[in-house]
Amino acid sequence: MDAFDLDVRRHVYSSVVADGRPPTTTETAGAFGRDEPEIADAYRRLHDAHALVLFPDTTEVWMANPFCFAPTPHRVTAGGRTWTGTCCWDALGISGALHADAEISTECACCGEPLTLVVRGDALAEGADTLCHVLVPARRWWDDIGFT
Amino acid sequence: MVYLRSEEHLSRWLSDNGWEPGATLSAAKMNELSRAWWWTRLDPGWRPRSADESQAILTDLGLTGDFWALR
Repeated sequence: MDAFDLDVRRHVYSSVVADGRPPTTTETAGAFGRDEPEIADAYRRLHDAHALVLFPDTTEVWMANPFCFAPTPHRVTAGGRTWTGTCCWDALGISGALHADAEISTECACCGEPLTLVVRGDALAEGADTLCHVLVPARRWWDDIGFT
Repeated sequence: MVYLRSEEHLSRWLSDNGWEPGATLSAAKMNELSRAWWWTRLDPGWRPRSADESQAILTDLGLTGDFWALR
């Protein structure tokens, strides 16, 4: 990953934190004073390197993990904003990435019953005995990251 | 990677979908893993981790064996 791609990635993540959403390639091109196709190529390289996830066949950011920009059952209130987590790992990861306490409103994958987890400091103050299940073995996580 | 309220609900969810079990962690353990995995993600000087560095995070938390092997 070269310095330009790292700069683009840093811009995407800082925009996510500032605006609650990732920048479009047009917005990032404006910020860098570059042509949009050049930024689109950088987004694709970051996707291929698993540093971002794009919606299929687009240059729109689906995940800047642990943050997700498609609906999921995992809503995370932290750092003065409500975020979406891709999965149980990422939902808790938003608290870690922001270094902030968090409340996670989610549901049981089996029955849909609402579940709440609260992170205070480094630990879970509520929901510590909730179960997390990882279905896919680690070496296959990126085969279909949306399913994982 | 999903949340489930109990072992009973986990078993039912796997059975209803015809899936083999993967790995089950308490949310407390997943929180430890999430913090270790994502803590530096917003650092201005972030660089991609090597596979060995990522594997070490899992190993340090006792997540070992073939299921947790990244390669």
